[in-house]
Amino acid sequence: MAERPFVPSAAGAVVSRPPLIRGNKTAGDVTRDITRLLESRPTALWWFAFLMAFSIFALGALAVGYQTAVGIGTWGLNRTVGWAFDITNFVFWIGIGHAGTLISAILFLLRQRWRTSVNRSAEAMTIFAVICAGIFPVIHMGRPWLAYWLFPIPNTRGPLWVNYKSPLVWDAFAIGTYFTISLVFWYVGLMPDLATVRDHVRSGLCKRLAAFFSLGWNGSYRTWHRYEVVYLLLAGLATPLVVSVHTIVSWDFATSVIPGWHTTIFPPYFVAGAIFSGLAMVLTLVIIARKTMHLEDYITQRHIEPMCKLVIATSGIVAMAYLTEFFTALYSANPYEQFAFLNRAFGPMGWAYAIMILCNVLVPQLLWSSKVRSNLAVVFVISLLINVGMWFERFIIIVTSLHRDYLPSNWTSYRPTPIEVATLAGSFGLFFTLFLLFCRFLPVIAMAEVKGVLREGHATPVESAAVPVPERVEEPALVYRQADAGAGS
Amino acid sequence: MDSSDTKRYWQSMEERNGEWSASPDEFPEPLPEPATAMSRRGFLQTAGFTLATATLTGCGRTPVEKAIPYLVQPDEIIPGRSLWYASTCGACSAGCGVLVKNRDGRPIKLEGNPEHPVSRGGLCAVGQASLLELYDSERLKQPLAAGQPASWDEVDQAVLAKLDAIRTSGGAVRFLTGTVTSPTLQALLAEFLGQFRDAHHVVYDPLSVSAVADAHQQTHGLRVVPRYRFDRAEVITSLDADFLGTWISPVEFTAGYCAGRNLEADPPQLSFHIQFESRMSLTGTKADRRVRVAPGELGVLATHLAARLAKRAGVRFAAEGLDAIPISPELLDEVADRLWQARGRSLVVCGSQDVRLQVLMNFLNHLLGNYGKTLDIESPSLQRQGNDGELENLLRELREGRVAALLVAGVNPLYDLPSSSELAGILQRVPLVVSFAERVDETASVAHFVCPDHHFLESWSDAEVIPGVVSLFQPVIHPLGQTRALAETLAAWMRKPQPVYDLLRQNWRMRIFPRQRGENEFDAFWDRAVHDGFAMVEHKPLQAKPFQFDAVRAIPSVEKPPSGALALVLYPKVGMLDGRHGHNAWLQELPDPITKVAWDNYACLSPATAARLGVRQGDVVRIETLSADAATPALELPVYIQPGQHDDVVAVPLGYGRQGTERFAKVGPRWLFAKPSVGENGRVGVRAAPLLRWTGGCLSPVGREVRIAKTGKQHALACTQSHHSLLTPQNIPWIGGKKRSIVQETTWPAFLRSRSGGTASHTEPPLKEDLWPPDHVYHGHRWAMVIDLNACTGCSACVVACQAENNIPVVGRDEVRRQREMHWLRIDRYYAGEDDVDVVHQPMLCQHCDYAPCETVCPVLATLHSEEGLNQQIYNRCVGTRYCANNCPYKVRRFNWFDYSREDRLQNLALNPDVSVRSRGVMEKCTFCVQRIQEAKIEARRQGKQLADGDVRTACQQSCPAQAILFGDLNDPKSSVAQAMRSPRRYRVLEEFNFRPAVGYLKLVRNRAEDSGEKHDG
Repeated sequence: MAERPFVPSAAGAVVSRPPLIRGNKTAGDVTRDITRLLESRPTALWWFAFLMAFSIFALGALAVGYQTAVGIGTWGLNRTVGWAFDITNFVFWIGIGHAGTLISAILFLLRQRWRTSVNRSAEAMTIFAVICAGIFPVIHMGRPWLAYWLFPIPNTRGPLWVNYKSPLVWDAFAIGTYFTISLVFWYVGLMPDLATVRDHVRSGLCKRLAAFFSLGWNGSYRTWHRYEVVYLLLAGLATPLVVSVHTIVSWDFATSVIPGWHTTIFPPYFVAGAIFSGLAMVLTLVIIARKTMHLEDYITQRHIEPMCKLVIATSGIVAMAYLTEFFTALYSANPYEQFAFLNRAFGPMGWAYAIMILCNVLVPQLLWSSKVRSNLAVVFVISLLINVGMWFERFIIIVTSLHRDYLPSNWTSYRPTPIEVATLAGSFGLFFTLFLLFCRFLPVIAMAEVKGVLREGHATPVESAAVPVPERVEEPALVYRQADAGAGS
Repeated sequence: MDSSDTKRYWQSMEERNGEWSASPDEFPEPLPEPATAMSRRGFLQTAGFTLATATLTGCGRTPVEKAIPYLVQPDEIIPGRSLWYASTCGACSAGCGVLVKNRDGRPIKLEGNPEHPVSRGGLCAVGQASLLELYDSERLKQPLAAGQPASWDEVDQAVLAKLDAIRTSGGAVRFLTGTVTSPTLQALLAEFLGQFRDAHHVVYDPLSVSAVADAHQQTHGLRVVPRYRFDRAEVITSLDADFLGTWISPVEFTAGYCAGRNLEADPPQLSFHIQFESRMSLTGTKADRRVRVAPGELGVLATHLAARLAKRAGVRFAAEGLDAIPISPELLDEVADRLWQARGRSLVVCGSQDVRLQVLMNFLNHLLGNYGKTLDIESPSLQRQGNDGELENLLRELREGRVAALLVAGVNPLYDLPSSSELAGILQRVPLVVSFAERVDETASVAHFVCPDHHFLESWSDAEVIPGVVSLFQPVIHPLGQTRALAETLAAWMRKPQPVYDLLRQNWRMRIFPRQRGENEFDAFWDRAVHDGFAMVEHKPLQAKPFQFDAVRAIPSVEKPPSGALALVLYPKVGMLDGRHGHNAWLQELPDPITKVAWDNYACLSPATAARLGVRQGDVVRIETLSADAATPALELPVYIQPGQHDDVVAVPLGYGRQGTERFAKVGPRWLFAKPSVGENGRVGVRAAPLLRWTGGCLSPVGREVRIAKTGKQHALACTQSHHSLLTPQNIPWIGGKKRSIVQETTWPAFLRSRSGGTASHTEPPLKEDLWPPDHVYHGHRWAMVIDLNACTGCSACVVACQAENNIPVVGRDEVRRQREMHWLRIDRYYAGEDDVDVVHQPMLCQHCDYAPCETVCPVLATLHSEEGLNQQIYNRCVGTRYCANNCPYKVRRFNWFDYSREDRLQNLALNPDVSVRSRGVMEKCTFCVQRIQEAKIEARRQGKQLADGDVRTACQQSCPAQAILFGDLNDPKSSVAQAMRSPRRYRVLEEFNFRPAVGYLKLVRNRAEDSGEKHDG
């Protein structure tokens, strides 16, 4: 029962495909390569990136501290535009997280074996993105010290309770659930690798921590069996979250009455956009990790390629949503609605709309070309542009809908203050700080899973089929039983 | 017993063997006690005490200050209940009746006195805001001698010595005041000045209507300003007179004007109002017909009208060879016809300071038989008594050094008058200059002695603004400083010091009491007058001479500025007026009803002129006069583009750049990127008075020829409204220029045909039946409001009234620029049309929707619906997500972006204790004055009565001079608000979205032909 899910494609493996993992690695090589990263000194590039990220994070933290001490007035919001950078950043970061869950859960269920090299970093990205996202709903409050009032905590404040009609309460649940499941899923996936680390790192804190967190993993058949069941269940649990979390976030807008917000297309539109932006962010991150951690053999064209194709697909969905919005507005016969959408494209913030179309619809079309897809530098730039475009998409939805709503007397403009810009930058700083720390202190590639796909693209189908017992199940067990690292294969 | 002593019992073998002996203690061995003094029990005691102490001190607030109860409770004062005193508003010389709300011994709100025959219950923005000045810490607390604080005795002795010297030497004493409406003070002034051989009382008004009085001197032999009765006028023709905004007595005129335009009366009434004006005035926005005329063309226009009416009246009037003016003869004929048909029921008014023009006005009104009907000179208005000719004489005397003593009260000549720097030099040569100003203003800072008068809420006084109506001022608080009433000071300087109360009663006993018949006893009469705030007495009408036709001269030629130059129009802004209230933060923050700009003055240019000059809004321009005198300084002001203004005109508000506005440098929140509310000169705005012009013995704000030069500088104006039309912007393809039906208006013929004004009215119950039962069922009261757009003039009295009632903070210029003004009630102003724009005003406040979009989205239930239809905001519960404000279709919610503490801590005394002061991070908005609802309900319950219609009056409703706001219980079908809700004119803003607001609006109706009524875009 347990071993079945891990071999189905073995019989149908196509020989002509390029290998997933280059360099004819053995399972022992994988263990050596990945655990070495944890023991060696960080590269200069890593230090540079880390210090950059950390300084930007510190700047953002200062900005948030100042804003909390003085007031939301330090942002550029006004009586008409009550949300801008804050919620834009929130939706953006939540969206980023989605690709991680997609890769780790849905692609797992769909037996996409290329996910093995990137799923660890994608899941880490999810967690860090949700952390970044979670900051904004708290700091955007006028009185952030009362943020716990959003949770239905039994209390002594009389009959006070949360308003279950409010999408913000739904948000609190959705994000809380999402963070919890993502964290548990990530941690469970880490356990076999932590055990490997425990067994291979010579001494020190790293070994002790790995020993503690691997929860006494012994690599026995029973352990593997339990692990596979839990992992499969968690993948099943996480799968609906890919759809539900951003759906709920989109309800913040869809259930309101503001033209440009009040549209039923938002849930699928937001989910597609989230996956789109998340994939772009995964691309950004794995290309960075590949470069800074020298993982060229583990993150190959076979990994970049499918993600690029997914980007094209989701970009198409997003473009479709942009068009559908206009059609819905036209068809609504609601002049306020029609105005809201035309104002987005042609109003004072039309430049932002143009950036969004350029980055989200036009630029991803370059990925149709396999030449472009194989040029990592270009893919990196495209992924960055998509992130910019998706940030602007949320900015447009939030700000351009608000700034000119029903009564023309209310119409205002919006201009961020340096405090807000620093907060946005700081969230990126936090994200990259966490990611770089993750690269240093945790196995950045899911060793146990990669070992299962080592043969992909190398072996003939006959040879693969000739291997009776899935090596992925047995091989690590073999490793752990023996004291010496290389003896496994 | 013995055996027990001898017999040895043992417990163990060791004991028996003597190795160990039993001790009498319970424990064989002593427990090892620690060497320290702390025992276990002691430790527990200490720990318990420490914990308890820490807990108790942690929970305890700062030491309680004991509130000591009154030893003898003053009569009527019950803590927590407000007392109302009738008094009179002293914020300008119009003399409106007020009721002062006192809580715990301090006045916290002014309201119009509904019984008062002049103001009839309204109170303007300035009057509302004058409360704040009572608590101004920059008011003088004691007299000044040579700029140094002194005691009254010292000042009295010094002044008396100087006055004695003048009395013996026979030097000229000049008492310069604004209009003195107080009969008591007038009598005292006469008595005081009577002591000197050469003494004279000179009166001028900073916003002068001296030409009106001068013209009546010429035509009727009486130097009076008539009392205008807009309520009796069916056809109103106004030439540049802003009678609803700032001219003479706006509250009184607004009440009268709206009485003549009552569409709910049976039959409905709607006067016809045509306004010829050069700038966009508040009055012009209400006109049925508004015609742009350059200031220099008004004379010819009046002559044309006079010629037409003289022909109809059969009076000879020589008016040949008139210059052409760009007004069609058909229109002039139509106006003349309408006026002629409404003889005796029409009114022609003019705001010009040109005596010739005012004489023509008198001629027109005489031809129309309006004297004695719509304007009264036999019992005239006493609200403006200034005589610019006498002021000019005084200035000449001063220049020639013939004045020995100048006493200045109630005016600020060094600010109000042009050539002030010259005047300041002259005043230094006058041997004695005394100012009675409440604070160190421009004039007081050059005076030898400053003898501060009380604030009007601290003092006894009286006012007779209409002959026969004598209002009383009564003190509602003990003077906050060592100030002294002007009357008392004068009495002291006549060496018969008396309290002002005695002086006032004496004068009333001698002069007022004999004029009445109702009461036999003076004390009863006095008590009633103090209670009512005014007394009606008899008045002997003045005798006017027959109309002097000789005085009437045609004005044949247009005064046109040379090409490339513009005519300058200086004008008082609603709220700021002549600048006497420049130190009032509420008024500085009040957006102008037309421009919606606060905290600045500016140069208004028409869109065409701005385009011609190549300037945009916010560009700083230099206004230079063409005239020869080089002493006139140039003004540097930001441009404001004003639709509806004449192309040859640049209009600049007066009243800015006041000394004392430096204080506003620290108004508003202070943070990293905050900017001060004052300009480069350290003051709010720029003083425009140097460009006033003396012409024909009158001080005229109009007619200087100026040239505009760009400076290349920029100055962002604090404008609360950035989009000014109900049309969507033209540059949005496909739907640009589409109109939103947020303001609905119709024409008089359409209204008469069907009372809803032609367009289909939205029906009640709502458009579609709901699938679900209503969210809210109201069994008891259901509060609702109706706002009559036809009555609303946009005067903004309600805005300040709301601010005073609800403790709304002042945020300063920078925050207003960032679109974060806090007013709960705002007045939206929309333009329609291209050049000859129509303007509509729409008061916008929380609509208290039944299906309120704000209520569903709050995550913590901080905003919810009451059982009486109120949308409530619970500040304590609010966490500040701002989702409710985003989801409010009317954007009436206001967020506390910062802690808005007052710039002047003393002004916290003006806070209404019934309304929470909001902290930062919480949302707030209109509550329908829930504290007033509660107060009325408690009072009704106390008296065992049902709450009656009219028991609850919101602050905005109360102060509205036009009575445009109705509030009450919709569940009571007989209530005025329920009746108004049934009016066919009623509509709701954004009704089609089914928010079901509790605020209804009554359509605007303009008295014009139907076809021309359809240019409305908004």
